[in-house]
Amino acid sequence: MENLILQLKNQIIEALNLEDMTAADIDDNEALFGDGIGLDSIDALELIVLLEREYGIKLANPAEGKEIFKSVASIADYISRNRKK
Amino acid sequence: MGERIFVTGCGIISALGVGADATLRALLSCESGIGPLRHLATTHDEFPVGEVELSNSEMAGMLSVSYPEEGLRTVLLGIIAAREAVGHAGLTDVDIQNAAFINGTTVGGMDKTERHFKSVFDSETHSPDCVELKYNDCGYAGDLIADNIGRFTMVTTTSTACSSAANAIIMGANMIKAGLVDIVVAGGAEALTRFHLNGFNSLMILDRESCRPFDRDRAGINLGEGAAYIVIESERSARARGVDILAELSGYANTCDAFHQTASSENGEGPYLAMRKAMDMGRLTPADIDYINAHGTGTPNNDATELAAMHRIWDYALPEFSSTKSFTGHTTSASGAIESVVCLLAMREGFMPCNLGLRNPLHPEAKPVDTSIGHDGAAVEIRHVVNNSFGFGGNDSTLIFSRYSPAN
Amino acid sequence: MTTIAEISITPAGAILKGRLISTADITGLYREFAGDYPKFFKMDSLCKLGFVAAEILLKDISAEEKENAAIILFNRNASLFTDRNYQATIRDNNYFPSPALFVYTLANIVTGEIAIRHKIYGETSFYVVDSPDTPLMEEIAAGAFLTSSPSFILTGWLDYDDDHHYEAKLKLVRK
Repeated sequence: MENLILQLKNQIIEALNLEDMTAADIDDNEALFGDGIGLDSIDALELIVLLEREYGIKLANPAEGKEIFKSVASIADYISRNRKK
Repeated sequence: MGERIFVTGCGIISALGVGADATLRALLSCESGIGPLRHLATTHDEFPVGEVELSNSEMAGMLSVSYPEEGLRTVLLGIIAAREAVGHAGLTDVDIQNAAFINGTTVGGMDKTERHFKSVFDSETHSPDCVELKYNDCGYAGDLIADNIGRFTMVTTTSTACSSAANAIIMGANMIKAGLVDIVVAGGAEALTRFHLNGFNSLMILDRESCRPFDRDRAGINLGEGAAYIVIESERSARARGVDILAELSGYANTCDAFHQTASSENGEGPYLAMRKAMDMGRLTPADIDYINAHGTGTPNNDATELAAMHRIWDYALPEFSSTKSFTGHTTSASGAIESVVCLLAMREGFMPCNLGLRNPLHPEAKPVDTSIGHDGAAVEIRHVVNNSFGFGGNDSTLIFSRYSPAN
Repeated sequence: MTTIAEISITPAGAILKGRLISTADITGLYREFAGDYPKFFKMDSLCKLGFVAAEILLKDISAEEKENAAIILFNRNASLFTDRNYQATIRDNNYFPSPALFVYTLANIVTGEIAIRHKIYGETSFYVVDSPDTPLMEEIAAGAFLTSSPSFILTGWLDYDDDHHYEAKLKLVRK
C-alpha cells in the first residue's frame, strides 16, 4: 500500500503538472480538491484518465469520482480493490 | 447609442435541413434533427448528434464546387448558408464589394486534417498530403466561403469557442457603428470532427441520450453541426437599397465570467453581465424581453449557471425561454448564428420554439417552453428576444433582436 | 487611443516600455514577476506567454479599473502548438485523450486565464489574422471603446509557434 501511495503521488504530480511539488508535500489524507491541494474539475477528469491508463479502471460517470478522489489514500484504496492491471 | 443596426437577410443549414423554410417547419412541428451518426467516421457511435443530412459530395454537387471545397465540410456548410443570406438580403456584386464577411469557427478545416494527418505523420519522407494540412487554418475556411460569394472588401475570422458566431455578429455591428463599412455578412460555420467529439467526451459532458436542456436530470450535450449568417447593415444603407428589414440588432455585449477555463460560475456573473449590458445598450428593461433563446447546452453546469443569471435579472418571473440545441444539437462555433436565425424566424412568425426532451424542470418557476407557443395560427407578438452564446474561456455574449419599427 | 504601457516577449527576453527587463524564458519570467499562481504550470504555452505578459503589464493597475477592462488579442497560429500535443494523445489506437490539453485547443482560453487571474469582467475576444497588421488591430480595439466603454484594453499580438518561436507584443490602451 505504501508503495502504491508513493507511486500514485508521483503520477498525480506528473499528470496534473503540480510543479514545485514533491510526493513529500502531499499528505496521504489531505483533501485534493477545495482548500487542500486545490485541484479543479479538469484535474478530476485527468485523474479519471490516469486510473484508466495506469490501472485499467474505467469510471463512466464523473460524479463517481467525488468520493474516490477525496485524498491520495482514498484513491489508493479504490485502486487496490478495483485494479485490472 | 449611435447608429442603428438592421438585419436584412439570413441563411441557415443544420440538422433541421437546408434553409430557413425547412428550419421553420421543423421548429413548428417540434421535430428534432438529433439522431445517430451517419457521416463522421468515428468509433464513438454511441453519441447522438445533430448532423447535417447531406454528405460532402451531395453539398459539393448542389453548389457546383470541386477541390478544395468539396473536401471541407465547414466550408460547404458555410457557402450554403452564406449564399442564402446574401440572396435573401438581395446583395448585388457591388454591395458585396463594399461589405465585410466575418466568420466564426473553431474547427475550420480540421476534418480534412484528420483524414490526411496520419499519412503525413507516418511517412518517413515528404508526403504529398502535406499540402492538405494548410486548410486546417480557421481563417482559410472563412476565406474560401467568402471567395465563393464575391469580392468582399474585408474578410476575417473570430474564434472564441462556442460564442464565435455571436462575436462575429458583434464585431460586424461595431464596424458599422465605427463607420468602417455599411454592410456585414456575419455568422459562423462548424462541421463535426473526431477532434472535438473526443475532446468533449474527455470532458465527460456528452449525453448518450437525446439532450435535455434545463431538465433536472440533464446529462450533457449532443454535438451538432451547421452554419448560419445574417446580413446586418446601417440604416442609411438599408434605406438606400430599399430592402425589407427583418429586425433590429438593438443590443449586444461580450463579457467574461472570469471563473474557470471551461466551467461556468455558480452565480452566473458572466452571463448576467452580458444580458444586462446588452439590455442597457438597447435601452431595454427586463420586462421588454418576451423570449430568451438560451445557450442551454444541457450540461448540468451551463444550465444551472444560465438560470442563476436569469434569476438575478428577472427574479422568478422569467420570460419564456428555451434551448433549441434540443433540435440542432450544440453546433459550437456556429450556434450563435444558427440560434440568431431561429430568433429571427420566431419573431417573424410569432412563435416560440419549444425545449424538447424536458421531463422535470429544475424549478416549478423555471420551466422552459414545453410545447411551441404561438403556432397553429395563434401567433404571439415578440418584441425583443435575447439570444445567449457562451464559450469556453468564460467568453459570454448576448445579442438582442428587436421587432423593427421605423421610429426609434 | 493612448498607450499606457507596452511589452514585448520573445525567446530573447522581455522588453517593457522599450527597456530590456529580463532574458529569462517564460517560466523564468513567471518566477521573476509572479510566482504565486501554481495554476500557471497547468496552462498551455500560449496561455503561459499571455499570462506573464499580462502579469508584468497589469502590475500597478487597481482592481477597480481592471474589473471593467477588456482583453482583445490577435495571432496567426491560434492554438496550433497545443492542437498538435492533443492530437498526439488520440493518435494511437489505444488512446487517452487528455481533457487538460483539450481545454487549451482554443486560442481564446488565454483571454479567460488572464481575466480569471485579474478579475476582468469586460469584453474578451481573440482574432486570428494573417499578420500583426496594426491598422486592423487598432480599428478593432477602437471599436470596442465605441460600444462597451471599457476602462482600458489589454490588446495586441500573442503567437506561439513552438518553444523557439513565440512572440507577445501586448499593450494597455485607454480611449
